[in-house]
Amino acid sequence: MSPQVSAEVMRARTFRYTWWLAALAVIVVISSVRLYTGADRITAPGTLRAATIGACPILLAGLGGLWAERAGIVNIGLEGQMLLGTWGAAFFAYHYGPLVGVLGAAAMGLLGGLLHAIATVSFGVDHIISGVAINIVGLGAVGFLAKTTFDDLEGGGPRNLSGYSTPPEFTVPLIADGARSLADRHWFIISDVAGAIAGVTTRLSVLTVLAFVLVAVTAWVLWRTSFGLRLRSCGENPQAAETLGINVYRYKYVAVLISGAFAGLGGAYLAMVASSSFTVGQTGGRGYIGLAAMIFGNWRPSGVLTGSLMFGYTDGISLLSNSGTLVHALLLLVAILLAVFAVIKVRAAERTTGLVIAGLSLGAFVWFFSSDTVNASFTGMTPYVVTLFVLAVFSQRLRMPAADGKPYRRGGAG
Amino acid sequence: MTTIDVEVRGIGKRFPGVVANHDVSLHIRPESVHALIGENGAGKSTLMKILYGVQPADDGEILVDGAPVSFASPTDAIAAGIGMVFQHFMLADNLTVAENIVLGAEKLHGIGDDAKREIREISDRFGFGLDPDTLVERLGVAVRQRVEILKVLYRGARLIILDEPTAVLVPQEVDALFANLRELVTQGRSVLFISHKLDEVRQIADDISVMRRGTTVGTADPKTATKRELAELMVGAELPSPATSESTVTDRPVLRLDGVSVADDTGRDLLHDISLTVHAGEVVGIAGVEGNGQSELVEVVMGMVRAHAGSIHLGEDDITRLSTRAVRDLGVGFVPEDRHRHGLVLDYPLWENRVLGHQTSAPAVRRGLVSRKGARADAQRIIDEFDVRTPGVETSARALSGGNQQKFIVGREMSGSPRLLIASHPTRGVDVGAQAAIWDHIRAARREGLGVLLVSADLDELIGLSDRLEVILRGRLTAQFDPSSVTASDLGEAMTGGEAA
Repeated sequence: MSPQVSAEVMRARTFRYTWWLAALAVIVVISSVRLYTGADRITAPGTLRAATIGACPILLAGLGGLWAERAGIVNIGLEGQMLLGTWGAAFFAYHYGPLVGVLGAAAMGLLGGLLHAIATVSFGVDHIISGVAINIVGLGAVGFLAKTTFDDLEGGGPRNLSGYSTPPEFTVPLIADGARSLADRHWFIISDVAGAIAGVTTRLSVLTVLAFVLVAVTAWVLWRTSFGLRLRSCGENPQAAETLGINVYRYKYVAVLISGAFAGLGGAYLAMVASSSFTVGQTGGRGYIGLAAMIFGNWRPSGVLTGSLMFGYTDGISLLSNSGTLVHALLLLVAILLAVFAVIKVRAAERTTGLVIAGLSLGAFVWFFSSDTVNASFTGMTPYVVTLFVLAVFSQRLRMPAADGKPYRRGGAG
Repeated sequence: MTTIDVEVRGIGKRFPGVVANHDVSLHIRPESVHALIGENGAGKSTLMKILYGVQPADDGEILVDGAPVSFASPTDAIAAGIGMVFQHFMLADNLTVAENIVLGAEKLHGIGDDAKREIREISDRFGFGLDPDTLVERLGVAVRQRVEILKVLYRGARLIILDEPTAVLVPQEVDALFANLRELVTQGRSVLFISHKLDEVRQIADDISVMRRGTTVGTADPKTATKRELAELMVGAELPSPATSESTVTDRPVLRLDGVSVADDTGRDLLHDISLTVHAGEVVGIAGVEGNGQSELVEVVMGMVRAHAGSIHLGEDDITRLSTRAVRDLGVGFVPEDRHRHGLVLDYPLWENRVLGHQTSAPAVRRGLVSRKGARADAQRIIDEFDVRTPGVETSARALSGGNQQKFIVGREMSGSPRLLIASHPTRGVDVGAQAAIWDHIRAARREGLGVLLVSADLDELIGLSDRLEVILRGRLTAQFDPSSVTASDLGEAMTGGEAA
């Protein structure tokens, strides 16, 4: 092995080490904030369970976005495909049981993906325009379908349906109880980690497990198989792929279909796990947040996971009752993290960015110390504010697939 | 079997309104370098695409080892042992060398360690020195070209088509490439080498075929054919030369840079302490490998980027902090390096393109309103004076060939008698005829006292046209040469920092 190769490996190891260290530091800060503010709910098992449930639909949408964009297609139609998924889950689960429900949701999302693929790949329609159209059509179609198929059912109405069975949930024995009792002690760090463990092991839905497994599957297929290599090459340089005899259209189609199916699964999660009933317009913009999580995650599965957990946390707590004090405590956390980030930026010779972030940090400190609680209307806004904010801060370092969103026509090579 | 014998007979290809190829025939002998020369638009690229299966031929046949073949896609061509290296590299920057190479040929050795071993093996055998785990975006142009060649070798190509491979290389890199090609031929491969640089062709080729107006017009023996004979076959006319005659340099400075530095976003200097003077009637040539600060030099003078140190004067005027608009209004013409991105709005007619960059001055604009009549008349003047081949001023810029687009841009930038012309690669991708015309116009304007800052990758052009040569390396002016005594190889050495590439 050449010395250059081992240098790459060394760099990768150092990188991983730094990453673990950073994660540990974040946990320490969270735990300190919890002790200082006394807002123990920050890392309580109930909060973290809500966070996981909030994260999964975003994660599935984000992974869907990742599949499409790695093949060079921007799928802003995730929202519409998720919506189709919510209806598919309700309809098929009501009539044929939860398993068919999940499959039906994926199939409905896939149908939305097919529409997007036909428009963007075959007809060269602008990706954004097609995606927005799908979102609008998706909402209309779901409203129409709900009215025609659910109105006469027991537990149904023109815009909603309940009473169908959902995928099974299970609690991991021993671990869940043990972690919960540790979490209740409110110890520094230990209780926070235990809270996270208890949160994900209590009343865990099989769909949650599936969502996390799909992260690993996505990473493996895209980076470890020749199918994945070809698919990624279509997003980086489709002309090059074409000269090597790769059918770029086919890979783009497959990618967008998978993308739609993932979004459909995200819809299923909303209609079957996050809630046990279907309502028209249930997604509430989570498709877009999934896209944001993907961008935050730098078009990588592990990054999408991190982004989804973060957005899912803010999404989850906005649904909890009396979350005003909790969000107030989080203000301090945000202020501290921003301050750290500002220092990093200034040291990296990006003074302007650093100063802007420092100003934001100061604002968060002032807000924290001058108030006792955050108004409920603000807590509902939290996930969206966080999304905007995180993207504004991080988007400069990101690297998207080189040919993402660009039209591709066969025969353009050379 | 590693040798291959390819023959092309009577190939024809028509596009709507154009006959790109007709009755093209050539024979590539086993274990030889066959050069195909011709002007831009002579039909070389079309022939290549047919030979590589990108486009089907309308007539004629291709014989591989004596048997007729037909290619529906590049996959078929690869299977028959024909591989192609495109002029614009077909590599994905964000993938590693190994990923780029195995892409589309995963069945051969998988995508893991076996494939990497095979890549190292081929790389060592032909002396390419490539590491399969490097990201392509970190590689320089010459190395990328080797990746491209390795890519076709990995697929078992026996005939390797190279489309203008030397266009992007400095002389030392060209020598290294030729050594690689020789090694390939020694080990039984054949090479089809497409170029319009006659010296190189005579240096590397075993056989030469010449194309003109879509057909093969003759063959030549590189050992006996002179440059002039080849040129006459190619253009049916005499070979133009960029050589300037008597010096017209005055001692009146038109452009003066003092200690100019430009930094990128992270604070790294792209240009460092540049001091340079261009006098009236003088052409100052900037030689350098692309990406060493030429673009920034041009942009800082034009006010497209800001200098963080130093000053720039145009005659007596300080233009350091002026906008591009103001700089142009003071009498600076600018031929940008990428005519599609910066020089023209391709879907506008020529007369509208004439207005661009002159939207504050007559004859295109009067009293703040675009004068259609004036702009049309002046566009027509450019078309006549600069011999732009177009049906008329209403034709969209896109419909013109590269050479004619460039002639139109040069004509526009010389309108209104500028004091200074900044010309970035003024004849890149332009055929021999248009090149001569552009050179003539620059020379004529220089006689009338125009100062020219010339950035070019074509060393013949730099040496022939310039009164003084400056070498730029990593953002600094590192050497000065007198074009009457310098050789291409001296210049190449200075451009690469003295190390043999």
